Amino acid sequence: MPAFLTRLNDAAKSKILTLQEYFVLAGKALRFIVARPFYGQDVVQQMDEIGVKSLGIVILTGLFTGMVLALQSSVQLKTFGASIYIGNLVSASMIRELGPVLAGLMVAGRVGSGIAAQLGSMRVTEQIDALNTLGTDPIKKLVTPRLIAALVMVPVLTIINDFVGIIGGNIIASLVLGLPGAMYWRTVWVQIANDGFALRVIPNDFIQGLTKPIVFGGLIAVTACYFGLGTTGGTEGVGQSTTRTVVTSSILILIVDYFITQVLLSVLTYG
Amino acid sequence: MADLPKPSTFDDRQRTSDTAESDDDDRKSAAVRQAIRSELAVDAPSDSARGGKRSSDKSVVELQHVSLAFDVPIIEDVSFVTCEGETMAIVGESGTGKSTILKLVLRLLVPDRGFVLIDGEDITPLTFEEALVVRQKMGMVFQGSALFDSMSVFENVAYPLREHTDMDEDEIAQRVREKLQFVDLEPDRVMEQLPSELSGGMKKRVGIARGMANNPRIMLYDEPTSGLDPLTTGTIMRLIMKLQRELGVTSLVVSHDIRAVFRMATKVALLHERRITFLGTPEEMAASDDRYIQDFLGGFSS
Repeated sequence: MPAFLTRLNDAAKSKILTLQEYFVLAGKALRFIVARPFYGQDVVQQMDEIGVKSLGIVILTGLFTGMVLALQSSVQLKTFGASIYIGNLVSASMIRELGPVLAGLMVAGRVGSGIAAQLGSMRVTEQIDALNTLGTDPIKKLVTPRLIAALVMVPVLTIINDFVGIIGGNIIASLVLGLPGAMYWRTVWVQIANDGFALRVIPNDFIQGLTKPIVFGGLIAVTACYFGLGTTGGTEGVGQSTTRTVVTSSILILIVDYFITQVLLSVLTYG
Repeated sequence: MADLPKPSTFDDRQRTSDTAESDDDDRKSAAVRQAIRSELAVDAPSDSARGGKRSSDKSVVELQHVSLAFDVPIIEDVSFVTCEGETMAIVGESGTGKSTILKLVLRLLVPDRGFVLIDGEDITPLTFEEALVVRQKMGMVFQGSALFDSMSVFENVAYPLREHTDMDEDEIAQRVREKLQFVDLEPDRVMEQLPSELSGGMKKRVGIARGMANNPRIMLYDEPTSGLDPLTTGTIMRLIMKLQRELGVTSLVVSHDIRAVFRMATKVALLHERRITFLGTPEEMAASDDRYIQDFLGGFSS
Protein backbone atom coordinates (compact mmCIF):
# COMPACT_ATOMS: atom_id res chain seq x y z
CA MET A 1 0.00 0.00 0.00
CA PRO A 2 2.65 2.61 0.87
CA ALA A 3 4.37 1.89 -2.42
CA PHE A 4 1.12 2.54 -4.20
CA LEU A 5 0.62 5.77 -2.28
CA THR A 6 4.14 6.91 -3.05
CA ARG A 7 3.53 6.34 -6.71
CA LEU A 8 0.26 8.23 -6.52
CA ASN A 9 2.02 11.04 -4.72
CA ASP A 10 4.77 11.18 -7.35
CA ALA A 11 2.26 11.15 -10.16
CA ALA A 12 0.26 13.97 -8.60
CA LYS A 13 3.41 15.98 -8.00
CA SER A 14 4.60 15.62 -11.57
CA LYS A 15 1.17 16.62 -12.89
CA ILE A 16 1.16 19.75 -10.76
CA LEU A 17 4.72 20.48 -11.77
CA THR A 18 3.71 20.22 -15.42
CA LEU A 19 0.86 22.63 -14.84
CA GLN A 20 3.18 25.00 -13.03
CA GLU A 21 5.74 24.89 -15.86
CA TYR A 22 2.96 25.56 -18.34
CA PHE A 23 1.84 28.68 -16.53
CA VAL A 24 5.39 29.88 -15.92
CA LEU A 25 6.01 29.61 -19.66
CA ALA A 26 2.77 31.46 -20.42
CA GLY A 27 3.60 34.15 -17.87
CA LYS A 28 7.12 34.69 -19.17
CA ALA A 29 5.98 34.79 -22.78
CA LEU A 30 3.33 37.38 -21.91
CA ARG A 31 5.76 39.47 -19.89
CA PHE A 32 8.25 39.54 -22.76
CA ILE A 33 5.64 41.15 -25.01
CA VAL A 34 6.53 44.45 -23.37
CA ALA A 35 10.24 43.80 -22.67
CA ARG A 36 13.21 44.66 -24.86
CA PRO A 37 14.63 43.47 -27.21
CA PHE A 38 11.65 43.10 -29.53
CA TYR A 39 11.83 40.55 -32.30
CA GLY A 40 9.53 42.41 -34.67
CA GLN A 41 10.63 40.53 -37.73
CA ASP A 42 9.84 37.21 -36.06
CA VAL A 43 6.39 38.49 -35.10
CA VAL A 44 5.62 39.49 -38.68
CA GLN A 45 6.91 36.17 -39.98
CA GLN A 46 4.76 34.26 -37.49
CA MET A 47 1.70 36.36 -38.33
CA ASP A 48 2.20 35.32 -41.92
CA GLU A 49 2.67 31.70 -40.89
CA ILE A 50 -0.24 31.55 -38.46
CA GLY A 51 -2.63 33.99 -40.08
CA VAL A 52 -2.16 34.40 -43.80
CA LYS A 53 -1.27 30.78 -44.49
CA SER A 54 -4.29 29.51 -42.50
CA LEU A 55 -6.64 31.67 -44.53
CA GLY A 56 -7.47 28.96 -47.06
CA ILE A 57 -8.55 26.27 -44.64
CA VAL A 58 -10.43 28.76 -42.49
CA ILE A 59 -12.40 30.08 -45.45
CA LEU A 60 -13.29 26.57 -46.58
CA THR A 61 -14.28 25.56 -43.06
CA GLY A 62 -16.43 28.64 -42.60
CA LEU A 63 -18.15 28.37 -45.97
CA PHE A 64 -19.20 24.76 -45.59
CA THR A 65 -20.13 25.13 -41.93
CA GLY A 66 -22.44 28.03 -42.77
CA MET A 67 -23.91 26.11 -45.68
CA VAL A 68 -24.59 22.94 -43.70
CA LEU A 69 -26.01 24.97 -40.82
CA ALA A 70 -28.49 26.63 -43.17
CA LEU A 71 -29.31 23.33 -44.83
CA GLN A 72 -29.99 21.49 -41.58
CA SER A 73 -31.95 24.30 -39.98
CA SER A 74 -34.00 24.85 -43.13
CA VAL A 75 -35.48 21.38 -42.62
CA GLN A 76 -36.28 22.05 -38.98
CA LEU A 77 -37.58 25.57 -39.47
CA LYS A 78 -39.80 24.53 -42.38
CA THR A 79 -41.84 22.25 -40.08
CA PHE A 80 -42.72 25.33 -38.00
CA GLY A 81 -43.20 27.48 -41.05
CA ALA A 82 -40.34 29.62 -39.76
CA SER A 83 -37.90 29.40 -42.65
CA ILE A 84 -37.60 33.15 -42.61
CA TYR A 85 -35.57 33.00 -39.39
CA ILE A 86 -32.72 31.06 -40.96
CA GLY A 87 -30.47 34.13 -40.87
CA ASN A 88 -30.96 34.50 -37.13
CA LEU A 89 -29.90 30.92 -36.57
CA VAL A 90 -26.82 30.99 -38.77
CA SER A 91 -25.61 34.33 -37.43
CA ALA A 92 -26.02 33.43 -33.76
CA SER A 93 -24.39 30.00 -34.14
CA MET A 94 -21.51 31.19 -36.29
CA ILE A 95 -20.57 34.28 -34.33
CA ARG A 96 -21.00 32.92 -30.83
CA GLU A 97 -19.83 29.33 -31.17
CA LEU A 98 -18.87 27.74 -34.44
CA GLY A 99 -16.73 30.56 -35.81
CA PRO A 100 -14.34 30.74 -32.83
CA VAL A 101 -14.29 27.03 -32.05
CA LEU A 102 -13.80 25.81 -35.60
CA ALA A 103 -11.19 28.46 -36.40
CA GLY A 104 -9.46 27.49 -33.15
CA LEU A 105 -9.49 23.80 -33.96
CA MET A 106 -8.25 24.36 -37.50
CA VAL A 107 -5.41 26.57 -36.29
CA ALA A 108 -4.57 24.07 -33.53
CA GLY A 109 -4.26 21.37 -36.16
CA ARG A 110 -2.37 23.35 -38.74
CA VAL A 111 -0.32 25.83 -36.75
CA GLY A 112 -0.04 24.12 -33.35
CA SER A 113 1.44 21.01 -34.89
CA GLY A 114 3.80 23.11 -37.01
CA ILE A 115 5.07 25.10 -34.04
CA ALA A 116 5.55 21.97 -31.92
CA ALA A 117 7.42 20.20 -34.71
CA GLN A 118 9.65 23.19 -35.40
CA LEU A 119 10.55 23.91 -31.78
CA GLY A 120 10.87 20.18 -31.10
CA SER A 121 13.37 19.78 -33.93
CA MET A 122 15.25 22.81 -32.69
CA ARG A 123 15.39 21.24 -29.24
CA VAL A 124 16.70 17.86 -30.38
CA THR A 125 19.27 19.38 -32.74
CA GLU A 126 20.57 21.59 -29.90
CA GLN A 127 19.43 24.80 -31.60
CA ILE A 128 17.63 25.83 -28.42
CA ASP A 129 20.86 25.32 -26.48
CA ALA A 130 22.62 27.31 -29.17
CA LEU A 131 20.21 30.22 -28.70
CA ASN A 132 20.85 30.12 -24.96
CA THR A 133 24.58 29.96 -25.56
CA LEU A 134 24.49 32.92 -27.92
CA GLY A 135 22.84 34.91 -25.14
CA THR A 136 19.25 34.83 -26.38
CA ASP A 137 16.34 33.82 -24.21
CA PRO A 138 14.56 31.17 -26.32
CA ILE A 139 11.22 32.10 -24.77
CA LYS A 140 11.63 35.68 -25.87
CA LYS A 141 12.91 34.79 -29.31
CA LEU A 142 10.63 31.86 -30.11
CA VAL A 143 7.59 31.76 -27.84
CA THR A 144 6.64 35.43 -27.51
CA PRO A 145 6.48 36.15 -31.28
CA ARG A 146 4.29 33.09 -31.77
CA LEU A 147 2.08 34.09 -28.87
CA ILE A 148 1.62 37.62 -30.17
CA ALA A 149 0.90 36.35 -33.66
CA ALA A 150 -1.66 33.84 -32.39
CA LEU A 151 -3.35 36.39 -30.10
CA VAL A 152 -3.81 38.72 -33.07
CA MET A 153 -4.38 36.32 -35.92
CA VAL A 154 -6.82 33.78 -34.43
CA PRO A 155 -9.41 36.53 -33.78
CA VAL A 156 -8.85 37.88 -37.30
CA LEU A 157 -9.31 34.40 -38.74
CA THR A 158 -12.42 33.96 -36.64
CA ILE A 159 -13.99 37.13 -38.00
CA ILE A 160 -13.29 35.94 -41.53
CA ASN A 161 -14.65 32.50 -40.63
CA ASP A 162 -17.87 34.04 -39.23
CA PHE A 163 -18.35 36.25 -42.25
CA VAL A 164 -17.76 33.52 -44.81
CA GLY A 165 -20.04 31.18 -42.82
CA ILE A 166 -22.87 33.70 -42.91
CA ILE A 167 -22.35 34.10 -46.65
CA GLY A 168 -22.51 30.30 -46.96
CA GLY A 169 -25.87 30.44 -45.15
CA ASN A 170 -26.95 33.11 -47.59
CA ILE A 171 -26.12 30.91 -50.57
CA ILE A 172 -28.16 27.99 -49.22
CA ALA A 173 -31.02 30.21 -48.07
CA SER A 174 -31.47 31.63 -51.55
CA LEU A 175 -30.81 28.37 -53.44
CA VAL A 176 -32.81 25.95 -51.30
CA LEU A 177 -35.43 28.17 -49.70
CA GLY A 178 -35.55 30.91 -52.27
CA LEU A 179 -35.11 33.50 -49.52
CA PRO A 180 -34.05 36.88 -50.95
CA GLY A 181 -30.57 38.00 -49.90
CA ALA A 182 -31.80 41.28 -48.41
CA MET A 183 -34.24 39.38 -46.22
CA TYR A 184 -31.51 36.99 -45.04
CA TRP A 185 -29.07 39.74 -44.12
CA ARG A 186 -31.81 41.64 -42.34
CA THR A 187 -32.48 38.66 -40.07
CA VAL A 188 -28.73 38.33 -39.46
CA TRP A 189 -28.55 41.90 -38.14
CA VAL A 190 -31.79 41.56 -36.23
CA GLN A 191 -30.37 38.58 -34.35
CA ILE A 192 -27.19 40.47 -33.43
CA ALA A 193 -29.26 43.44 -32.23
CA ASN A 194 -31.64 41.20 -30.31
CA ASP A 195 -28.77 39.67 -28.37
CA GLY A 196 -28.22 43.03 -26.77
CA PHE A 197 -25.35 45.47 -26.44
CA ALA A 198 -22.70 46.00 -23.84
CA LEU A 199 -22.10 49.69 -23.05
CA ARG A 200 -24.98 50.39 -25.45
CA VAL A 201 -22.84 50.08 -28.61
CA ILE A 202 -20.86 46.83 -28.61
CA PRO A 203 -23.01 43.85 -29.55
CA ASN A 204 -22.82 41.09 -26.94
CA ASP A 205 -22.36 38.55 -29.69
CA PHE A 206 -19.21 40.30 -30.83
CA ILE A 207 -17.79 40.30 -27.30
CA GLN A 208 -18.40 36.57 -26.99
CA GLY A 209 -17.20 35.94 -30.51
CA LEU A 210 -13.93 37.79 -29.95
CA THR A 211 -13.09 36.85 -26.35
CA LYS A 212 -13.01 33.21 -27.31
CA PRO A 213 -10.54 33.35 -30.19
CA ILE A 214 -8.15 35.54 -28.19
CA VAL A 215 -8.10 32.93 -25.44
CA PHE A 216 -7.87 30.09 -27.96
CA GLY A 217 -4.99 31.76 -29.75
CA GLY A 218 -3.05 32.05 -26.50
CA LEU A 219 -3.89 28.46 -25.64
CA ILE A 220 -2.69 27.09 -28.95
CA ALA A 221 0.57 29.05 -28.97
CA VAL A 222 1.52 28.27 -25.36
CA THR A 223 0.56 24.59 -25.62
CA ALA A 224 2.49 24.12 -28.84
CA CYS A 225 5.55 25.93 -27.49
CA TYR A 226 5.36 24.05 -24.20
CA PHE A 227 5.36 20.64 -25.83
CA GLY A 228 7.82 21.71 -28.52
CA LEU A 229 10.40 23.07 -26.10
CA GLY A 230 9.94 20.08 -23.79
CA THR A 231 10.72 17.58 -26.53
CA THR A 232 13.07 14.76 -25.60
CA GLY A 233 14.10 11.60 -27.37
CA GLY A 234 15.13 12.61 -30.88
CA THR A 235 12.92 12.60 -33.93
CA GLU A 236 10.45 10.22 -32.35
CA GLY A 237 10.01 12.72 -29.55
CA VAL A 238 9.19 15.42 -32.12
CA GLY A 239 6.34 13.29 -33.42
CA GLN A 240 5.02 12.75 -29.91
CA SER A 241 5.16 16.45 -29.09
CA THR A 242 3.26 17.24 -32.26
CA THR A 243 0.51 14.75 -31.50
CA ARG A 244 0.25 15.88 -27.90
CA THR A 245 -0.01 19.49 -28.99
CA VAL A 246 -2.90 18.88 -31.34
CA VAL A 247 -4.80 16.62 -28.94
CA THR A 248 -4.26 18.78 -25.86
CA SER A 249 -4.98 22.12 -27.48
CA SER A 250 -8.10 20.79 -29.24
CA ILE A 251 -9.52 19.41 -26.01
CA LEU A 252 -8.58 22.54 -24.10
CA ILE A 253 -10.34 24.66 -26.70
CA LEU A 254 -13.59 22.73 -26.28
CA ILE A 255 -13.43 22.74 -22.47
CA VAL A 256 -12.42 26.37 -22.15
CA ASP A 257 -15.11 27.31 -24.67
CA TYR A 258 -17.78 25.97 -22.33
CA PHE A 259 -16.51 27.92 -19.36
CA ILE A 260 -16.07 31.18 -21.27
CA THR A 261 -19.63 30.84 -22.52
CA GLN A 262 -20.86 30.17 -19.00
CA VAL A 263 -19.08 33.21 -17.59
CA LEU A 264 -20.00 35.56 -20.43
CA LEU A 265 -23.66 34.56 -20.41
CA SER A 266 -23.88 35.47 -16.75
CA VAL A 267 -21.94 38.71 -17.15
CA LEU A 268 -23.50 40.06 -20.32
CA THR A 269 -27.20 40.83 -20.29
CA TYR A 270 -28.79 39.04 -23.19
CA GLY A 271 -32.06 40.04 -24.78
CA MET B 1 14.37 -20.98 -33.88
CA ALA B 2 16.07 -22.63 -30.90
CA ASP B 3 17.86 -25.07 -33.19
CA LEU B 4 19.54 -22.43 -35.23
CA PRO B 5 23.09 -21.59 -34.27
CA LYS B 6 23.25 -18.22 -32.59
CA PRO B 7 24.72 -15.72 -34.98
CA SER B 8 27.90 -14.20 -33.76
CA THR B 9 27.08 -10.64 -32.90
CA PHE B 10 29.47 -7.79 -32.84
CA ASP B 11 29.40 -7.86 -29.06
CA ASP B 12 30.40 -11.50 -28.98
CA ARG B 13 33.32 -10.90 -31.24
CA GLN B 14 34.35 -7.96 -29.17
CA ARG B 15 34.25 -10.05 -26.02
CA THR B 16 36.23 -12.89 -27.53
CA SER B 17 38.91 -10.60 -28.76
CA ASP B 18 38.98 -8.94 -25.34
CA THR B 19 39.66 -12.20 -23.54
CA ALA B 20 42.24 -13.13 -26.08
CA GLU B 21 44.00 -9.86 -25.61
CA SER B 22 43.84 -9.91 -21.84
CA ASP B 23 46.28 -12.82 -21.86
CA ASP B 24 49.09 -10.74 -23.19
CA ASP B 25 47.98 -7.47 -21.68
CA ASP B 26 51.41 -6.40 -20.60
CA ARG B 27 52.82 -6.92 -24.04
CA LYS B 28 49.93 -4.96 -25.49
CA SER B 29 50.18 -2.00 -23.15
CA ALA B 30 53.87 -1.67 -23.94
CA ALA B 31 53.02 -1.68 -27.60
CA VAL B 32 50.27 0.86 -27.06
CA ARG B 33 52.57 3.17 -25.23
CA GLN B 34 55.07 2.90 -28.03
CA ALA B 35 52.40 3.64 -30.60
CA ILE B 36 51.19 6.66 -28.71
CA ARG B 37 54.67 8.01 -28.24
CA SER B 38 55.33 7.77 -31.92
CA GLU B 39 51.98 9.40 -32.57
CA LEU B 40 52.97 12.24 -30.32
CA ALA B 41 56.34 12.53 -31.96
CA VAL B 42 54.87 12.69 -35.44
CA ASP B 43 51.74 14.69 -34.95
CA ALA B 44 52.13 16.78 -31.89
CA PRO B 45 53.16 20.35 -32.51
CA SER B 46 56.09 21.58 -30.49
CA ASP B 47 55.29 22.96 -27.10
CA SER B 48 55.76 26.51 -28.22
CA ALA B 49 53.31 26.07 -31.08
CA ARG B 50 50.80 24.30 -28.93
CA GLY B 51 51.20 26.61 -25.99
CA GLY B 52 50.68 29.55 -28.32
CA LYS B 53 50.26 32.77 -26.47
CA ARG B 54 50.03 31.10 -23.11
CA SER B 55 51.71 33.49 -20.82
CA SER B 56 49.80 33.87 -17.60
CA ASP B 57 48.50 31.36 -15.13
CA LYS B 58 45.26 33.27 -14.83
CA SER B 59 42.36 30.91 -14.26
CA VAL B 60 39.74 31.33 -16.94
CA VAL B 61 37.50 28.30 -16.54
CA GLU B 62 37.53 26.58 -13.20
CA LEU B 63 35.37 23.89 -11.62
CA GLN B 64 35.55 23.32 -7.87
CA HIS B 65 34.19 20.07 -6.46
CA VAL B 66 31.22 20.08 -8.81
CA SER B 67 28.56 17.41 -8.46
CA LEU B 68 25.38 17.02 -10.44
CA ALA B 69 22.66 14.40 -10.48
CA PHE B 70 19.40 13.93 -12.36
CA ASP B 71 17.83 11.02 -10.52
CA VAL B 72 21.17 9.24 -10.99
CA PRO B 73 24.53 10.93 -10.37
CA ILE B 74 26.06 12.36 -13.57
CA ILE B 75 29.34 13.76 -12.26
CA GLU B 76 30.80 13.78 -8.77
CA ASP B 77 33.40 16.04 -7.21
CA VAL B 78 34.89 17.26 -10.48
CA SER B 79 37.57 19.94 -10.20
CA PHE B 80 39.91 21.42 -12.77
CA VAL B 81 41.46 24.72 -13.75
CA THR B 82 41.97 25.94 -17.29
CA CYS B 83 44.34 28.89 -17.54
CA GLU B 84 44.42 31.59 -20.16
CA GLY B 85 45.48 30.33 -23.58
CA GLU B 86 45.33 26.69 -22.62
CA THR B 87 43.47 23.98 -24.51
CA MET B 88 41.92 21.62 -22.04
CA ALA B 89 40.57 18.36 -23.38
CA ILE B 90 38.02 16.36 -21.45
CA VAL B 91 38.06 12.78 -22.59
CA GLY B 92 36.22 9.69 -21.50
CA GLU B 93 33.83 7.02 -22.61
CA SER B 94 30.47 7.96 -24.04
CA GLY B 95 27.88 8.78 -21.41
CA THR B 96 30.32 9.77 -18.67
CA GLY B 97 29.03 13.31 -18.46
CA LYS B 98 31.56 15.07 -20.69
CA SER B 99 28.99 17.25 -22.42
CA THR B 100 27.42 17.97 -19.04
CA ILE B 101 30.61 19.74 -18.03
CA LEU B 102 30.29 22.10 -21.02
CA LYS B 103 26.68 22.80 -20.11
CA LEU B 104 27.79 23.59 -16.56
CA VAL B 105 30.44 25.98 -17.85
CA LEU B 106 27.82 27.68 -20.02
CA ARG B 107 25.47 27.65 -17.06
CA LEU B 108 22.82 25.85 -19.07
CA LEU B 109 22.89 23.59 -16.01
CA VAL B 110 23.51 24.50 -12.39
CA PRO B 111 25.51 22.10 -10.20
CA ASP B 112 23.96 20.52 -7.12
CA ARG B 113 27.20 21.14 -5.22
CA GLY B 114 30.40 23.00 -5.98
CA PHE B 115 31.28 26.12 -7.94
CA VAL B 116 31.89 27.02 -11.56
CA LEU B 117 34.20 29.99 -11.99
CA ILE B 118 34.59 32.00 -15.18
CA ASP B 119 37.43 34.53 -14.96
CA GLY B 120 37.45 33.89 -11.24
CA GLU B 121 33.78 34.77 -10.83
CA ASP B 122 31.38 32.16 -9.50
CA ILE B 123 28.54 31.84 -12.02
CA THR B 124 26.37 29.38 -10.09
CA PRO B 125 24.29 31.98 -8.20
CA LEU B 126 23.59 34.10 -11.30
CA THR B 127 20.05 34.65 -12.52
CA PHE B 128 19.00 33.49 -15.97
CA GLU B 129 19.42 37.00 -17.40
CA GLU B 130 22.84 37.50 -15.82
CA ALA B 131 23.94 34.16 -17.21
CA LEU B 132 23.04 35.34 -20.72
CA VAL B 133 25.64 38.08 -20.30
CA VAL B 134 28.37 35.74 -19.02
CA ARG B 135 27.76 33.43 -21.98
CA GLN B 136 28.81 36.20 -24.34
CA LYS B 137 32.38 35.61 -23.20
CA MET B 138 32.12 32.12 -24.62
CA GLY B 139 31.72 30.60 -28.04
CA MET B 140 30.28 27.14 -28.25
CA VAL B 141 30.59 24.67 -31.11
CA PHE B 142 27.94 21.98 -30.88
CA GLN B 143 28.32 18.35 -31.77
CA GLY B 144 25.68 18.56 -34.48
CA SER B 145 26.67 22.17 -35.31
CA ALA B 146 23.19 23.34 -34.18
CA LEU B 147 23.00 25.94 -36.93
CA PHE B 148 19.63 27.69 -37.08
CA ASP B 149 18.12 25.94 -40.06
CA SER B 150 15.66 28.69 -40.85
CA MET B 151 18.52 31.14 -41.43
CA SER B 152 21.20 31.38 -44.11
CA VAL B 153 24.86 30.85 -43.30
CA PHE B 154 25.32 34.62 -43.24
CA GLU B 155 22.45 35.13 -40.81
CA ASN B 156 23.76 32.33 -38.61
CA VAL B 157 27.20 33.84 -38.27
CA ALA B 158 25.74 37.34 -37.95
CA TYR B 159 23.33 36.23 -35.23
CA PRO B 160 25.50 36.89 -32.16
CA LEU B 161 26.56 40.23 -33.67
CA ARG B 162 22.99 41.37 -34.22
CA GLU B 163 22.04 40.21 -30.75
CA HIS B 164 24.77 41.81 -28.72
CA THR B 165 26.52 44.56 -30.65
CA ASP B 166 25.56 47.88 -32.17
CA MET B 167 27.45 47.11 -35.36
CA ASP B 168 25.85 48.42 -38.53
CA GLU B 169 25.13 46.21 -41.53
CA ASP B 170 28.47 46.94 -43.26
CA GLU B 171 30.48 46.10 -40.19
CA ILE B 172 28.48 42.91 -39.66
CA ALA B 173 28.96 41.85 -43.28
CA GLN B 174 32.67 42.49 -42.99
CA ARG B 175 32.99 40.54 -39.75
CA VAL B 176 31.02 37.61 -41.15
CA ARG B 177 33.29 37.47 -44.21
CA GLU B 178 36.35 37.63 -42.03
CA LYS B 179 35.15 34.77 -39.84
CA LEU B 180 34.11 32.61 -42.78
CA GLN B 181 37.52 33.16 -44.35
CA PHE B 182 39.17 32.23 -41.07
CA VAL B 183 37.46 28.83 -41.19
CA ASP B 184 38.52 28.38 -44.84
CA LEU B 185 35.13 28.91 -46.41
CA GLU B 186 34.57 31.13 -49.41
CA PRO B 187 32.14 33.77 -48.15
CA ASP B 188 30.66 34.48 -51.57
CA ARG B 189 29.89 30.85 -52.20
CA VAL B 190 28.34 29.82 -48.91
CA MET B 191 26.86 32.98 -47.43
CA GLU B 192 23.41 32.68 -48.95
CA GLN B 193 23.14 28.92 -48.55
CA LEU B 194 20.95 27.28 -45.95
CA PRO B 195 22.53 24.91 -43.41
CA SER B 196 20.63 21.99 -44.96
CA GLU B 197 22.59 22.52 -48.19
CA LEU B 198 25.98 22.12 -46.52
CA SER B 199 28.10 19.03 -45.86
CA GLY B 200 28.88 17.93 -42.32
CA GLY B 201 32.36 19.41 -42.35
CA MET B 202 31.14 22.72 -43.75
CA LYS B 203 28.41 22.90 -41.11
CA LYS B 204 31.02 22.33 -38.45
CA ARG B 205 33.10 25.17 -39.85
CA VAL B 206 30.14 27.52 -40.00
CA GLY B 207 29.44 26.46 -36.42
CA ILE B 208 32.96 27.49 -35.44
CA ALA B 209 32.61 30.78 -37.35
CA ARG B 210 29.38 31.51 -35.49
CA GLY B 211 30.94 30.56 -32.16
CA MET B 212 33.84 32.97 -32.71
CA ALA B 213 31.88 35.78 -34.36
CA ASN B 214 31.74 37.77 -31.15
CA ASN B 215 35.49 37.31 -30.59
CA PRO B 216 34.98 35.34 -27.39
CA ARG B 217 38.00 34.61 -25.21
CA ILE B 218 36.76 31.13 -24.37
CA MET B 219 35.81 28.51 -26.95
CA LEU B 220 33.97 25.33 -26.07
CA TYR B 221 33.82 22.37 -28.44
CA ASP B 222 31.52 19.40 -28.03
CA GLU B 223 32.90 16.43 -30.00
CA PRO B 224 34.29 18.69 -32.74
CA THR B 225 35.50 15.79 -34.89
CA SER B 226 32.79 13.19 -34.41
CA GLY B 227 31.12 11.90 -37.53
CA LEU B 228 33.69 13.48 -39.85
CA ASP B 229 36.03 11.75 -42.29
CA PRO B 230 39.76 11.74 -41.41
CA LEU B 231 40.60 14.59 -43.80
CA THR B 232 37.88 16.87 -42.48
CA THR B 233 38.81 15.88 -38.95
CA GLY B 234 42.32 17.12 -39.65
CA THR B 235 41.00 20.38 -41.04
CA ILE B 236 38.80 21.00 -38.02
CA MET B 237 41.65 20.20 -35.65
CA ARG B 238 44.03 22.56 -37.41
CA LEU B 239 41.31 25.20 -37.20
CA ILE B 240 40.94 24.78 -33.46
CA MET B 241 44.69 25.00 -33.01
CA LYS B 242 44.91 28.05 -35.29
CA LEU B 243 42.24 29.75 -33.21
CA GLN B 244 44.17 29.11 -30.05
CA ARG B 245 47.54 30.05 -31.54
CA GLU B 246 46.56 33.19 -33.43
CA LEU B 247 43.92 34.58 -31.13
CA GLY B 248 45.08 33.13 -27.83
CA VAL B 249 41.65 31.89 -26.85
CA THR B 250 41.20 29.46 -24.01
CA SER B 251 39.59 26.26 -25.23
CA LEU B 252 37.71 23.42 -23.65
CA VAL B 253 37.33 20.40 -25.91
CA VAL B 254 35.11 17.47 -25.09
CA SER B 255 35.94 14.45 -27.18
CA HIS B 256 36.49 10.74 -27.28
CA ASP B 257 38.73 11.07 -30.32
CA ILE B 258 41.98 10.56 -28.46
CA ARG B 259 44.22 11.11 -31.50
CA ALA B 260 42.72 14.51 -32.15
CA VAL B 261 42.96 15.42 -28.49
CA PHE B 262 46.62 14.51 -28.23
CA ARG B 263 47.43 16.79 -31.12
CA MET B 264 45.79 19.90 -29.84
CA ALA B 265 45.46 19.75 -26.07
CA THR B 266 47.84 21.25 -23.57
CA LYS B 267 46.05 19.45 -20.75
CA VAL B 268 43.90 16.34 -20.66
CA ALA B 269 41.31 15.41 -18.07
CA LEU B 270 40.06 11.84 -18.14
CA LEU B 271 36.52 11.33 -16.92
CA HIS B 272 35.86 7.83 -15.63
CA GLU B 273 32.86 6.74 -13.62
CA ARG B 274 31.69 10.31 -13.00
CA ARG B 275 35.05 11.49 -11.65
CA ILE B 276 38.24 12.92 -13.08
CA THR B 277 40.73 10.11 -12.66
CA PHE B 278 43.60 11.72 -14.52
CA LEU B 279 44.62 15.32 -15.11
CA GLY B 280 47.83 16.23 -16.85
CA THR B 281 49.58 16.79 -20.16
CA PRO B 282 49.10 14.36 -23.06
CA GLU B 283 52.69 13.17 -22.58
CA GLU B 284 52.03 12.38 -18.94
CA MET B 285 48.91 10.55 -19.91
CA ALA B 286 50.71 8.42 -22.49
CA ALA B 287 53.39 7.60 -19.91
CA SER B 288 50.90 6.62 -17.24
CA ASP B 289 50.97 3.07 -15.91
CA ASP B 290 47.30 3.13 -14.95
CA ARG B 291 45.53 0.11 -16.41
CA TYR B 292 42.34 1.98 -17.33
CA ILE B 293 44.23 4.79 -19.03
CA GLN B 294 46.21 2.29 -21.06
CA ASP B 295 43.04 0.47 -22.03
CA PHE B 296 41.39 3.73 -22.94
CA LEU B 297 44.30 4.87 -25.09
CA GLY B 298 44.69 1.39 -26.55
CA GLY B 299 41.08 1.26 -27.56
CA PHE B 300 41.66 4.18 -29.87
CA SER B 301 45.19 3.73 -31.05
CA SER B 302 44.61 0.27 -32.49
